[in-house]
Amino acid sequence: MQEALKPKAARTLDVEDLTVRYGSSVAVDGVTLAIEPGEVVALLGPSGCGKSTLLRVIAGFVRQAEGHVRVDGATIDHLPANQRNIGIVFQNYALFPHMTVAENVAYGLRARGARGPDVAAKVNRFLETVQLGGFRERLPRQLSGGQQQRVALARALAVEPSILLLDEPFAALDRNLRLDMQIEVKRLQRTLGLTTILVTHDQDEAMSVADRIAVMNKGKVEQFDTPVAIYDRPQTLFVNGFIGTTNLMTGKIVSVESGAASVALDAGATLRLPSQGLSAGTAVLLSVRPEQLVLSTIPGLAHWKIEPGLSLPLGSQLVHEARTADGVALKIVEPRLAAPAPAGRLYCGLSADARPSLFPHHA
Amino acid sequence: MFNRRSLLTGATALGGASLLPMMAWAKGGLAAGIYPGPWEDAYRAIVQPALKKAYDIDLEFASLFAVDEIAKLKASRGAPPFDALVLDPGPRITAIEGGLLEKFDPKKLTNASKLPPSFLDQWGVCVSAQVVGIAYNPKKVPAPKGWGDLLKDPWVSRLGLSGFQTTFGTVALIELAKVFGGSETNVEPAMVELKKVLPKVAAVGQPAAMPGLFQQGQCDVMFTNTQVVAILKGKGVDIEFVKPETGAIAFYNTFHISKGSEQVENAYKYFDTIISKDVQTALMQPPFSFVPANKEVVLAPDLPLKSLEEFSGFVVHDWAKINPLRAAWIEKFNKDMAK
Amino acid sequence: MTLKPAEWQLALPLGLAFASLFLAPFLLLFGVSFFNDDQITQPGFGQWIKFFGDPFHYKVIADTLLLGVKTVAATVIVGYPLALVFIDLGPRLQRVLIFIIVMPLLLSVVVRTFAWIVVLGREGVINTLLLHLGVISEPLRLLQTELGLVISMTQIEMPLMLLPLISVMSRIEPNLRDASAALGASRWRTLFTVIVPLSMPGLIAGCLLVFASSTTAFISQSIIGGVRLIYLPLLIWQQSLVVFNWPFAAVTSLALLVSVLSVIAALSYLGRRAGGAIHG
Repeated sequence: MQEALKPKAARTLDVEDLTVRYGSSVAVDGVTLAIEPGEVVALLGPSGCGKSTLLRVIAGFVRQAEGHVRVDGATIDHLPANQRNIGIVFQNYALFPHMTVAENVAYGLRARGARGPDVAAKVNRFLETVQLGGFRERLPRQLSGGQQQRVALARALAVEPSILLLDEPFAALDRNLRLDMQIEVKRLQRTLGLTTILVTHDQDEAMSVADRIAVMNKGKVEQFDTPVAIYDRPQTLFVNGFIGTTNLMTGKIVSVESGAASVALDAGATLRLPSQGLSAGTAVLLSVRPEQLVLSTIPGLAHWKIEPGLSLPLGSQLVHEARTADGVALKIVEPRLAAPAPAGRLYCGLSADARPSLFPHHA
Repeated sequence: MFNRRSLLTGATALGGASLLPMMAWAKGGLAAGIYPGPWEDAYRAIVQPALKKAYDIDLEFASLFAVDEIAKLKASRGAPPFDALVLDPGPRITAIEGGLLEKFDPKKLTNASKLPPSFLDQWGVCVSAQVVGIAYNPKKVPAPKGWGDLLKDPWVSRLGLSGFQTTFGTVALIELAKVFGGSETNVEPAMVELKKVLPKVAAVGQPAAMPGLFQQGQCDVMFTNTQVVAILKGKGVDIEFVKPETGAIAFYNTFHISKGSEQVENAYKYFDTIISKDVQTALMQPPFSFVPANKEVVLAPDLPLKSLEEFSGFVVHDWAKINPLRAAWIEKFNKDMAK
Repeated sequence: MTLKPAEWQLALPLGLAFASLFLAPFLLLFGVSFFNDDQITQPGFGQWIKFFGDPFHYKVIADTLLLGVKTVAATVIVGYPLALVFIDLGPRLQRVLIFIIVMPLLLSVVVRTFAWIVVLGREGVINTLLLHLGVISEPLRLLQTELGLVISMTQIEMPLMLLPLISVMSRIEPNLRDASAALGASRWRTLFTVIVPLSMPGLIAGCLLVFASSTTAFISQSIIGGVRLIYLPLLIWQQSLVVFNWPFAAVTSLALLVSVLSVIAALSYLGRRAGGAIHG
């Protein structure tokens, strides 16, 4: 391993009860996040949810109205951006267009007073790390998008920041390049042991890169958890809808017995599910992922009747459209099998490993 | 040779003429060059309606200094942008020598007999005279006695000078030269003396800027004509006129017809209106205070003279001698005054 | 690249206007300068020899160019910080500021110039204020000095500096400043290593306009500067409109044209180099 890339002691990052206001509107509303050393956290949410603002507060570009940001337990609220030692990579890379690649990477080192051959050596090492050794004298506009991003990454890492912030860094890249870069960033982050925050609106990106995801909506964190937990056990209806594709069906809890609820669906079936703290008589929304539904030829108590629609192959899967008796559109995904499915599959039910979620339904 | 020259005049005439009103070609119309400031104000207020009333002629003015009128005529040979114009003695000679004026027939003026005979000649008619002397601010400095005082304390440090670009500036500097032994053709003594006191002089400005500089208190003494004094006084400026002990300077303002004008008859009617008793009397009243040319006008008490005969007591200059020297004087003034 | 007929036909009106309103008069001017007498009858180099044989005229050229340089320097010193403030303002304040910046362009040059007489005069606003505050005991001489002239020209020419500067500056990617700060650069370092180099094309365009405009601002020069400060436009005016020596006026005009154009050519060369580094 190269000298420059020895892992430093990674830092914790704590955001405590942070609130940012623009005039009368609240951009970030009482957000608290405790981020472990060396962890990659994705801030995920629709545009305008406050994730970028939160990042800008951590970087020191925006001042919070309330709350604190701590690195290794020490507050950095009073420090201007240029004294925080936080590296950031922007969506459009924000490379200095009038400087060469080498000058861009050396910028932070020079700003810290470094001079002479040390700077050149360090610049070279970081450019080698991002595989751009031969591009030292190019100007940013002479590089492709992916190359520009590597420069931006090298520039941010060259100053050996305590925290790395990535602001939608892959959004401008095409699909194949995006995957390569995601792997590359993850590799560098691991090697350096850098505590990293990634802002994104792309759930796949968040899922593949982050150790934990904070799903944000309207300035608040809806759920802060591992990707698997967020996918399988969404805590709120918003997270449930935002992450992955889901089917929502209305129903009512008819009885609860030792933690198991009997849910009567309006589609015409009764399911036994964990009650998730809901009591009998509650109107509920049942959320179930498309791959957790199965089609069947046999009617039954736990099966409801459907009216089949189109079936579309999607890669290794087959996606079926269907409509319930009460008019809800469903998506059902199953593996594409070699043999054609038997005809007359007019009933739908939960798969054996299905983990549907129940949310109270406020009509 | 004719090619290049006619091309030049033709091209510039196109540019020059297009900038000015087209009234000269309208029936019953007349375009006249007039000096900006009091002349334009007075002629718009008094002469324009009088001409319309008497002869139903629509009068349009082109507001230009004498030198600008000459420049326009020179540039538009044969197709003058205005039919009639007013001139000072120096530019008048330039215009005559340049062939820019139509011959003038005094007999065509019905009011001709009311002017002194010397006010009419084959080139035009004199409608007014300007009297040039010294103006000062009585609240700031005592009254100066003569031209020589201008270069002494306390006046010199409050003096506002202008150069040879205008008629009044030229004649005043000639009179200043005479005090130090110069003459109508030798202004060098004035330049020598001016140079000595130059660091003290309050302002050396463009002629058009001088009234403004006086009004703003930038200078408190200047040479100018009685009309400017009357107008500034009318605006409430503390200003008085002094006839220098060697005599005030007089020069005549004459009206002429542009060469090639198609409104010659209307021009004569315009001149006749200007020199009529009523118009001359109206022009004489403050704030315009024109010195009249019509003998029948009873002179107002605040004019610098009691009767037209007094003109013989004023200093006059021979512009035929001055004109050829003026370019060199302007150059000399530039160099001597330049910082 | 070859133009299709329709394309060059579109450019025809402008081309004709340029040829008839600029090129033809310019050739006439050039031709007239080669006559020895003011009646334009004797061809010769007399006027050129007269102009360039007199060291006074070199001084006037130098003073004219120097006036341009001083005005440019003053508009940069005042205008650049203003442009920096401008790009950080909200859209509403920006509209107000743009109006204030453009205002001098909307006023007649004569009104602006005389307003400055009122401000700079012996009994003007500045002197009255300083006298009242006890800063000075005698009125300062501001009118008819180069200082006063440069002060007023700075205001009069300011829009020509600010408009191109603001237009280039507002196109600088705002993230660059944040990126610079995050990399540890102070505000000043960011200003001089990022903002100034990137605003260079606008700055140079502004300098160019202010220089061309201030060196030829006859009315301001002669009314505020007075007759003792002699610049080329005054000479041209005297020679063409007072003395009627058009050949000499033509030589003087060409001297003004060439000297101003050579400075502008140098500036725009620098501008192209700066622009090339940024936009290619």
